[in-house]
Amino acid sequence: MTATSYGWLVLAFPLAGMLVVSLSWRVLPGRLAGWIASAAILGSFVSAILALIDMQDLPAEERHLVDSAWTYAATADFNADVSILIDPLSVFMCLVVSGVSFLIHVYSVAYMTGDHGHARFFAYLNYFVFSMLLLVLAANFVLLIVGWAFVGAASYLLISFWYRRSTATHAGIKAFVMNVIGDVGLVIAAFLLLDHTGQLDYLGVFERAPEVFSTNDSTIVWACIFILVGAFAKSAQLPLHTWLPDAMEGPTPVSALIHAATMVTAGVYLIARCFPLFDLAPTAADIGAVIGTATLVFAATVALVQTDLKRVIAYSTMSQIGYMVLGVSAAAYGAGLFHLMTHAFFKALLFMGAGSIIGAMAGIQDMDRMGGFRRAMPFTFVTFTIGALALAGFPLTAGWFSKDEILAYTLNRGGGFVVLGIAGYLGAALTAFYAFRMVFRVFSGKAVPEAEELEQGHLAHGEPQNPMTGEVEDTDVGFPGPEHVVAERSWPMKFAMAPLAVLALVAGVVGIPGVTDTLEHFLEPTFESSTYAEDHPSTSSEWVGLAAGAIISIAGIFVAFTFYVRRRGITLDLRDRYRRVHDFLWHKWYFDELYDAVFVRPAATAGSFGRRVIETDVVQGFIVGGATGVVRAGTSFARAIQTGFLRAYALLLFFGAAALLLYFLISSS
Amino acid sequence: MSLLAQVQAPEIDYKLLSPLLALVGGCIVVMMVGLFRSQFVRRSLVPGLTAVSLLTAVGLTIWIWEPGDSEPIIEGALAMDTLTLGLSMLFYVAGLVTILLSLRSEAPRVAGQGEYYALLLGSITGMVVLAGAENLITLFIGIEVLSIPLYVLCATELYRRESLESGLKYLVIGSVGSATLLYGLALLYGASGAMQFDGIASALGGDELSVTDPLLLTGIALTMTGLAFKASVAPFHQWTPDVYQGAPTPITTFMAVATKAAAFGILLRLFGEALGLAQLEWAPALAVLAATTIVIGNVGAIAQRSLKRMLAWSSVAQAGYLLAGVVVGTNLGLQATVFYLAVYLLMNVAAFSVVVARERVSERGDDISSFENLGQSNPWLAWPMTIAMLSLAGFPATGGFIGKFFLIDASVDGDYTWLGIAIVVGSIISLAYYLRVIAAMWMGRYEIEMPAMPPRRVKPVSGWSPEADTRAQPEVAVVAIVCAAATILFGLWPDPLFDAARDVGTALSQLR
Amino acid sequence: MTIHLSIIVFLPLAAGLIGAALPRGYARWAMLAGTVAVLAYAVVLLADFDSSARGLQYVTDDEWIPELGIRYQLGVDGLNLFMVVLTALAWVPCTLVAAFRERERLFFFWLALAETAVLGVFMAQDLALFIVFFDLMLVPFYFLIGGWGTGDRVRATTMFVIYTLVGSLLMLAAAIALGVLATPEGGEISFSLAVLEQRSVPEGTQQWIVLLFALAFFVKAPLFPLHGWVPATYRSTSIPVLALLSAVLSKAGVYGFLRIVLPVMPEGSQHWQELFIIVAVFSILYGSILAFSQDNIRMVVAYSSIAQLGFITLGIFALEDKGAQGAVFQMLNHGLVVVPLFLIIGVIAARAHGSQSLEQLGGMAFRAPVLAALFLIVSFATLAMPGSANFIGEILVLFGTFEDKFVYGLVASIGVILASVYMIRLFQRTMHNRVGPKVESREIDGLSFAAIAPVVAVIVALGIYPSFVVERTERSTVQSIEAAKALSGNDPEISVIK
Repeated sequence: MTATSYGWLVLAFPLAGMLVVSLSWRVLPGRLAGWIASAAILGSFVSAILALIDMQDLPAEERHLVDSAWTYAATADFNADVSILIDPLSVFMCLVVSGVSFLIHVYSVAYMTGDHGHARFFAYLNYFVFSMLLLVLAANFVLLIVGWAFVGAASYLLISFWYRRSTATHAGIKAFVMNVIGDVGLVIAAFLLLDHTGQLDYLGVFERAPEVFSTNDSTIVWACIFILVGAFAKSAQLPLHTWLPDAMEGPTPVSALIHAATMVTAGVYLIARCFPLFDLAPTAADIGAVIGTATLVFAATVALVQTDLKRVIAYSTMSQIGYMVLGVSAAAYGAGLFHLMTHAFFKALLFMGAGSIIGAMAGIQDMDRMGGFRRAMPFTFVTFTIGALALAGFPLTAGWFSKDEILAYTLNRGGGFVVLGIAGYLGAALTAFYAFRMVFRVFSGKAVPEAEELEQGHLAHGEPQNPMTGEVEDTDVGFPGPEHVVAERSWPMKFAMAPLAVLALVAGVVGIPGVTDTLEHFLEPTFESSTYAEDHPSTSSEWVGLAAGAIISIAGIFVAFTFYVRRRGITLDLRDRYRRVHDFLWHKWYFDELYDAVFVRPAATAGSFGRRVIETDVVQGFIVGGATGVVRAGTSFARAIQTGFLRAYALLLFFGAAALLLYFLISSS
Repeated sequence: MSLLAQVQAPEIDYKLLSPLLALVGGCIVVMMVGLFRSQFVRRSLVPGLTAVSLLTAVGLTIWIWEPGDSEPIIEGALAMDTLTLGLSMLFYVAGLVTILLSLRSEAPRVAGQGEYYALLLGSITGMVVLAGAENLITLFIGIEVLSIPLYVLCATELYRRESLESGLKYLVIGSVGSATLLYGLALLYGASGAMQFDGIASALGGDELSVTDPLLLTGIALTMTGLAFKASVAPFHQWTPDVYQGAPTPITTFMAVATKAAAFGILLRLFGEALGLAQLEWAPALAVLAATTIVIGNVGAIAQRSLKRMLAWSSVAQAGYLLAGVVVGTNLGLQATVFYLAVYLLMNVAAFSVVVARERVSERGDDISSFENLGQSNPWLAWPMTIAMLSLAGFPATGGFIGKFFLIDASVDGDYTWLGIAIVVGSIISLAYYLRVIAAMWMGRYEIEMPAMPPRRVKPVSGWSPEADTRAQPEVAVVAIVCAAATILFGLWPDPLFDAARDVGTALSQLR
Repeated sequence: MTIHLSIIVFLPLAAGLIGAALPRGYARWAMLAGTVAVLAYAVVLLADFDSSARGLQYVTDDEWIPELGIRYQLGVDGLNLFMVVLTALAWVPCTLVAAFRERERLFFFWLALAETAVLGVFMAQDLALFIVFFDLMLVPFYFLIGGWGTGDRVRATTMFVIYTLVGSLLMLAAAIALGVLATPEGGEISFSLAVLEQRSVPEGTQQWIVLLFALAFFVKAPLFPLHGWVPATYRSTSIPVLALLSAVLSKAGVYGFLRIVLPVMPEGSQHWQELFIIVAVFSILYGSILAFSQDNIRMVVAYSSIAQLGFITLGIFALEDKGAQGAVFQMLNHGLVVVPLFLIIGVIAARAHGSQSLEQLGGMAFRAPVLAALFLIVSFATLAMPGSANFIGEILVLFGTFEDKFVYGLVASIGVILASVYMIRLFQRTMHNRVGPKVESREIDGLSFAAIAPVVAVIVALGIYPSFVVERTERSTVQSIEAAKALSGNDPEISVIK
């Protein structure tokens, strides 16, 4: 079998899994649905590996295999097949996606036991993986948009998985609409490309693009900007980021899979995939880099003050993706994707840990209520800390290599990029701080009641309620099931977290500057044609960067240690002293309020205006009313002259005759 | 003696005259027979004889039917050409229908069977004469012979003051109309110096009479008024609602379809044959009348609750549509008009006969509320009414649609596109009241406020109880159903009517 | 095999008449058998259709009213092939769920007549015949709404008919004018579209004729601001009838543009292109905004169709191949989603004690996962999520518009975003959130499932393989806009961004 047929298998497995689970949801007993789903993902992971092996047999320059299944839609110059592209980039993404997905599926089998939506959950989850793989394997922009929207839909469905929670459904619609904005951006970009290159297939477009576009030609710049719109909507970059924190309404495995490891990094993949276009439109690339940097700083600052565990991780995700966007926009494609991978490992790990903590807290997510879980949950403690270290870029962890490689490349570009690089290091400091703020606030200090109970070996069973609003809930379909307090007691969770922890520590080996650079070489066939392919920082300068990164992260961790362990309470004084700053950050820079005022309210007002004024007054009142009014007037006139008196009739008769006479006489003379 | 010798009677083509003779003869016979006392004679023989004479006329008409431009008879006084014959067919059908509708109604009983039916036949005779008039004298004679019996017929339900009122109104205002007409005819003669239509035409053709001659135009104006009055064209329409409502419904039916046909017959002949060359002069005026009529008729009908009154107004509106065919003064227009007259007869008869059936048994008479839920209670009446209304409104698959199509076609063809648009605007307005009737019949309680009207006393029809009466008048239902069926038939397969119209068209070959 | 279109057209009527003749209770089954037969025949037609052939297929061409130059001309090509199939398909589920006990036979007679009329509209190849069927459609729907509707149904149906006829009677006048004025000196008058395409009318005349046609079609569609009949009608029409009204009748208008206006009067159409595009774009925005500010679920769909029809019109008057393609495709897709949408609304209302206010609804999915799943798929399709056939339709429309009306395209794409808002809102407020006060969450009943599921299956299938439709419609669509497009001088190289 060729690489492409393995590629189709990669897609086929999750699709089949989804169909099986969703169609037999009534009959599947207990956890079986979960196991079927996990098996499906494992299947597609294996096929991905086989595809990799198969592809590596080919000479480097032949590693772009396109295979088309059937014509999707073809008319005029619009011509799209259902076709997949197998090249190092797509295979790399397949491996990351299916690999992490598999572990998270296994984790979910335990986490979602007893939830009444069990089968539905895994159907959605498989559907998501299928969509994500479709996204990365698509060989043309139309199919890309399809996958793009599918993951959006899947994310919507999983965010509002507990659909009787109004907070969840609200978060869902918000995420969905933001994603549609992204889709529209891609559609417009696709048009501009089709209009000028006459192509929709990646390879075709990339081939024609240099011929039809001069560098920074306005059209290509606009096209890239619209691509960025799509990418930013999906990857929660400014200003389209507001949906991601709310997305934490979804079950924690969802947050781990979709809103940390895979879907939100699709934007990064897209920019990397379209690198030939961005090479032609440096302006757009710069915009990307700037926004990426802005996002990473913004998100890091917000993460400093949030107290909801999952939302802190969400903001840190946003911030980390900012690094990746900065990387790929600064033409550090390898580095960006490297960070994408490592981030997938440690962020998924962090979320899993958070999941088990929240489980132990019986659904409570507020860090103010947590503390002292170190002894209660040693395993979670260890893994979570590993994740935090990687996130903070602690020396020798995966995050250290990947993040600092990005920054090294950025600085290497020189000019304005230096500023961005420095901002990146600033962000790194903040990251280290908030990462360990979480660790210390959750695990150190005196144990909270839930922790103590857990030490006694039985789980806290709280009243089922909405952690955000405190509304009372039951545990039937549409609400979290009763057994969400599995903490870390269930082996599938450990089975999933352990490998990720290992990876978070050692995954850096694929990209040790000057030593391995495995990933670089692997991805080369894809990116070799890039105009920036040659200029990468010298190994020495990279190590300098790494050293700087190491110092900064250690510093950050130390500060966090002082604030939250050595001198507890100091944070409160700080908060009171810089109340304004704190509120500003607490309200996430007031983005939600802004959008509410600028988009939501006006739309609603327009709606009610249309309903009250236009519908009633113009359409019914003026058009309909006007017409009928005229007729009515005529009617009353006709009846008015219809007196019933002969004299009146005779009179009118004579007037009529006279009028006729007059007409004829005038016309005659 | 020698004086007598000089007077020679005009030689007459009795073959062509035969339908008229049948009618006149029938008229006399019916009147005589009507004097007998016996119930059988009055109730059955008299209507029978009337029908016989009408059927004879029909037969004879078919016998002498001869497309082409035939010579007028009786020294050119009367043309028994296809136009006359075609229209007279409509009169005969209307007459027969009237007989059927009258069988169980009060009017003949009160007025005396003989007189009633004799007057009917007389009026028809007048119509034929009018339709065939080839000179001004015949025209006036026709009008009078047509009208005078009608004045009486309207008043035949002596005990009902509405009936008397309508008769009186018709008489007075009618004579005003006739007077105007007569004056106009006199002026026409004065201007052209000819009585014969072809004479007038040749006078216009020659150089001694210009089309802008004031005398002529005055004549045209007054003639137009007089004829427009008979065709109930606005603003000379006002008698129509009152008279139609007051008159016995069978007579209303007869007036609505036959009188209109006759009036349009003469309009076509006079303006087409005699004044054809002055078309550019009179067409605009006539067009304005048409438009006014369409609007007035339709808006007038909207607010009516009495169906007879509503149909009266609608007949005014229809007159407006028909006028479009006259305005363009083309052969196509002539055919369209004749075609529409035929369809018009069918759909109106259908509607009126349902009204007849209802008002005999319903306590609310011809008020729209007496048609509520007719769909359930008596579909055999509801369906014809529905079809009639749809056809009057001009829905497709009915004769009304084809008719309007033909009229618009003709008006566009005659460079009167705006008149065509006026027609459709009219039909749009007309939906308001036609649909109301349908809604009342099919769509449950009719949601509008009811003015408290005293329920009128219902005389049992032919001795049966009011309950049984809905089924007690089969002939009325039959008339309604047959006409409705024909309306649909001609909506789907109009060819026969078209052929007839084409034959009629050959009568006035001078039209382009 | 040879296919006789007359059979397709008149089969439903025959079924209706038979049903009317049968004793009570059988009418429904007779009608159902009829619609199924029609569908089967339509599928044969679809299978037999030769997408490579140029022009009309299975033409029936007989004299009808020679005096007026009206012929009984039926034919099928890429433009109406799927409209015919859609009609045949839509009637089956609606007949299935229409369970009216009182005056049953009458109801199904009217329903049958309606199908005949609609099929006639889509197949007619003679202008006059088209108008005959176009106006005839109103009669059955007048009775269906007025006789079996709810609430203030008489007012609603009267308004519906008068409103629509204002348009279509003016169109009648315009059509006759067209036929007469197009006739050359001494030539025979003819309303056959094929003939009219050959003849020419002065541009000035074309302009007002096109305008009157547009009036009729916009009212039918409906587009802003001619949608005055929509609120009342949509409120008081019974669900199965409403589904047909919104799914099929609305297409008759836009179809008329492609079949008649553009080929016969290219100059006139081109002259009004800008105006029509503006109307379309305005309808998209207005419809979408009102759709998400409605509380009555029927109204949400009502206004959403205004937006959808706006998209179709936009695609047509972009006068560009892709746009027209998209429009034709959307005509099918919108029809396909609206039928299940309304049937589902019916099911929902049945579970909320007839309440249709979003305030009262919610949480329906709780005990009705299948219902929710069906609704979800349909909602996604309706908001044209990529992966649905609607997306292909919409993207083609947008691409066509972008070609040289880029700004309008941008504004229209706002409509795409708004669509996601109102559809997801509709889905959530009914299926999700806490279970509403009056709602009892019961699983969908077998009958409704049997009616809805197949249509949903078709929607999914088209989503997977849209080019099945595209390749069949392409030829005729391109052909129908050819003339007008040539005039508008679309230059694909023009791009607004520069």
